[in-house]
Amino acid sequence: MPRDLTPSTIENTFVLKALTERIRLDSRSFNQLRDLDISFSSTEYGVVDVKLGRTRVIARISAEITQPYTDRPYDGLFIISTEISPMAAPTFEAGRKSEDELVISRIIEKSIRRSGALDTESLCIISGEKCWAVRADVHFLDHDGGLMDAACIAVSAGLLHFRRPDITIEGVGSRREVIVHPITERVPVPLAVLHVPVCVTFSFFDVRKASSAISGRTRKDEAKDVDEDDVEEEEEEEEDDSSVAVLVDATLQEELLRHGYMSVTANTNREICQIQKGGDMPVDVGVLLSCSEAAIMVAEKVTKLINKRLKEDEARRNVGNLLVEARAENDR
Amino acid sequence: MPMLTVHTSTDLFSSSRLGHRAPRSAKEELDSEDVVMSDADSAEPEQESDDDDDRIFSLDHTETGDGDARVTGVVKSRHIVTPGELVTAESMWMRGHGTYSVGLKSYSSVAGTITRVNKLLSVAPLRGRYDPKIGDHVIGRIIDVGTRSWHVDIGAKQAAVLMLGSVNLPGGVQRRKSESDELQMRAFLKEGDLLNAEVQAVFTDGAASLHTRSLNYGKLRNGYFFTIPSSLVVRSKYHTFELPGGVDLVLGVNGYIWLRKHTQQLGEQGVSITRLAEEAGWEIYSDENEYISPSIRENIARYANAVKALRYCEVGVNEARVIAAYEASKEYRSPGEMIENDVKKRIAKHVLLATKG
Amino acid sequence: MASRMEIFSPEGLRIDGRRWNEVRHFRCAINTHPVSSDGSAIIEQGNTKVICNVIGPVEPTLRSRVVPDRVSISVKVVVAPFSTIDRRKRSQNDSRIQEMCSSIQHVFEDAVIAHLFPRSQIDVNLYVVAQDGGVLQACINATTLALIDAGVPMYDYVCACTAGMLDREVLLDLNRIEESDMPFLTMATIGSKRKVALLQLEMKVQFDRLEPMMAASMSGCHHIRDLMDNEVRKHGKSRLERGSL
Repeated sequence: MPRDLTPSTIENTFVLKALTERIRLDSRSFNQLRDLDISFSSTEYGVVDVKLGRTRVIARISAEITQPYTDRPYDGLFIISTEISPMAAPTFEAGRKSEDELVISRIIEKSIRRSGALDTESLCIISGEKCWAVRADVHFLDHDGGLMDAACIAVSAGLLHFRRPDITIEGVGSRREVIVHPITERVPVPLAVLHVPVCVTFSFFDVRKASSAISGRTRKDEAKDVDEDDVEEEEEEEEDDSSVAVLVDATLQEELLRHGYMSVTANTNREICQIQKGGDMPVDVGVLLSCSEAAIMVAEKVTKLINKRLKEDEARRNVGNLLVEARAENDR
Repeated sequence: MPMLTVHTSTDLFSSSRLGHRAPRSAKEELDSEDVVMSDADSAEPEQESDDDDDRIFSLDHTETGDGDARVTGVVKSRHIVTPGELVTAESMWMRGHGTYSVGLKSYSSVAGTITRVNKLLSVAPLRGRYDPKIGDHVIGRIIDVGTRSWHVDIGAKQAAVLMLGSVNLPGGVQRRKSESDELQMRAFLKEGDLLNAEVQAVFTDGAASLHTRSLNYGKLRNGYFFTIPSSLVVRSKYHTFELPGGVDLVLGVNGYIWLRKHTQQLGEQGVSITRLAEEAGWEIYSDENEYISPSIRENIARYANAVKALRYCEVGVNEARVIAAYEASKEYRSPGEMIENDVKKRIAKHVLLATKG
Repeated sequence: MASRMEIFSPEGLRIDGRRWNEVRHFRCAINTHPVSSDGSAIIEQGNTKVICNVIGPVEPTLRSRVVPDRVSISVKVVVAPFSTIDRRKRSQNDSRIQEMCSSIQHVFEDAVIAHLFPRSQIDVNLYVVAQDGGVLQACINATTLALIDAGVPMYDYVCACTAGMLDREVLLDLNRIEESDMPFLTMATIGSKRKVALLQLEMKVQFDRLEPMMAASMSGCHHIRDLMDNEVRKHGKSRLERGSL
């Protein structure tokens, strides 16, 4: 079993040293996302390929008709499956949930499902009897950091792109029947997506810790006036914001070296859907607030890109303007 | 307790006041315990008399002898400090265990009392696992037999090591250790065996190395084992006591306790010191208990319950107190009566009165 | 489900009669299980009750848990089946519980001065005996107290508190009914400054509302720190009085 890909000590000092000089190894600025590429399958609805730098995630949305839960007869089902296979990185084991995987799946669950991005009531066909079960399968193909960000974008874009077959209900009372019209017969129906959540992960680095580790200065001081090994030279009295380096969209290397992180899910309505700051490095409240605000800006950018790509995709599918004609017939 | 109000107001919402802090509530009155015990001859030199929060700290009571007796500085007084509390802001102090420093200021990292040795300030935690020190007489249990060493649980943060070279082997001190000894280590001490030993060295990571190269130390038999928190053991010169009633007490500094039938030690049999080592035969590694008479068994039980009574009331344990507790327990016909909490409290109270003067 | 009116009355009172900025009745005790553990504590926040046992630092039980330069902390949370109205047995693999374990573990890995105990482990066992909202905060508070009782060196108290947002009103320290009715966040601070160790928000909330919520929960955390500090001092004092030190 390959253990964690722990970076070597020299890598550690090198990256941290660079960060103290406000340089990232891939020459991005601290608040810059990597190149984001979103592409949709040309044949199928709801298949999205998201590339965030070298991280690659494919999400596939599918829908089938099932029975709703008895306690929620008016709600459809929405399931997000995020299993990370060893394909993404050798640290992930097939079949066994690692802690990272747990965190990723919980964050995506909270970001998209619990924030009500998909209106599950619209998935109801016959209350208590039949409803749509929408399923999002996320496949992690390559791992270079920011898995949850990429996965969240993929699922959000997938939901926007997906079309379910049109249905009609015939008959009355208990003899009602649902007729599913194949996509080839009728124009498929988009899902009721209420908002587009975008997850952004901020990585925190304690720059002062880094600089002292590099120069070895504090350690020497410590040895000078202290003869017990019980002493720690770490936090300063009033921590100013400059001692914390906040990085957006960390690469795998940065992820492994970071001292703390926070992932924020936001949308273009200036709403925060979810915040998860793990217990690692304690950070000032103000930093957390400004991160949340930054997340909204990122969300706006990403949503814009998703919409642009959706339009392009529609234009490509809509060769000869056939869809518009077909839709026109259905308009009432 | 009434519902507690956090003093926040609406103007707090400006981010500049985010860190506003609720004022500290008034100092709480001490709970009046039903057994309030004061202590005269414990290791602590004096009682805290007031609960003044920020008085000037004058360290003249913990003075150990040599050097400047009156170093004063603005240090929080010797009452309880808690994690995150400022211990001193002056650079003249060296910071010891239980503290961490940020710049020049040092803070407490545990809840406990400040102690000082010369210029070294440290905070002794109220409670905690045993922290081995060189020379401590401890009782341990073998948990693992390795190559040329045993791993011994002594209730510390890490298992202690007992090297094959640090034990007496049958045949005497002068005997050379051979490969066959390495192969038959289990014949001397195996997993689950209890022994008493002395801490020979402490490694930098806090693990201890033990030795049993004295006939006072070695494998334990003929008795009964139980533990108390190590913080309750009062350190003294000796930790093996011959108690009235034909019982020996081995009071490990780590809080592990062994009560056994009193047996003639090798040294007491009139063997000359030089021959002692040769006399040490295989019997020092014997697993066989000798015959123990019912009355001695009862005495062992009585002593055990006496010490447990002290443990229950969190009274420090030393020889005088154990004997006093034993005497006090004689008013109960059977040692079994001593498991009642009321009885334990009564015994502990009696002990503190008896050992005061 | 309770309606909005009941949750927060026009007079400014909540269902249990508190004002918006009042924490629930807070009771704690340390060294409650002296025989079975090195440190223990019980916390009651309103009707939520959590017991915490800390064992360690001790020699690691498993080879895989040996970390060469720091102590390894593992957290187990057991939610009693009788802790809620519906008696459902939750398995240890419940993803919510696992997430809670991992967040508590990360909080204390940075709060404990970990490099002092290389190659050893600390086990934190939490038992949720009754839940009425704010289980995570109660667990974090209980762990802090139990670690202090165990004499494990820490930088400062870690204290947690929740705050919710109902329309435009911030409510501090929510109970179960309030929790199910509004977005809320759980915040854990270390010490009495503005340092935030943990922040969790699970439901959608307007960005502008975030700041008041964070401000309220932070002052709640600081208040709880004072309450816990009092208890530790009281306990330490009673030990000093009895001459057991």
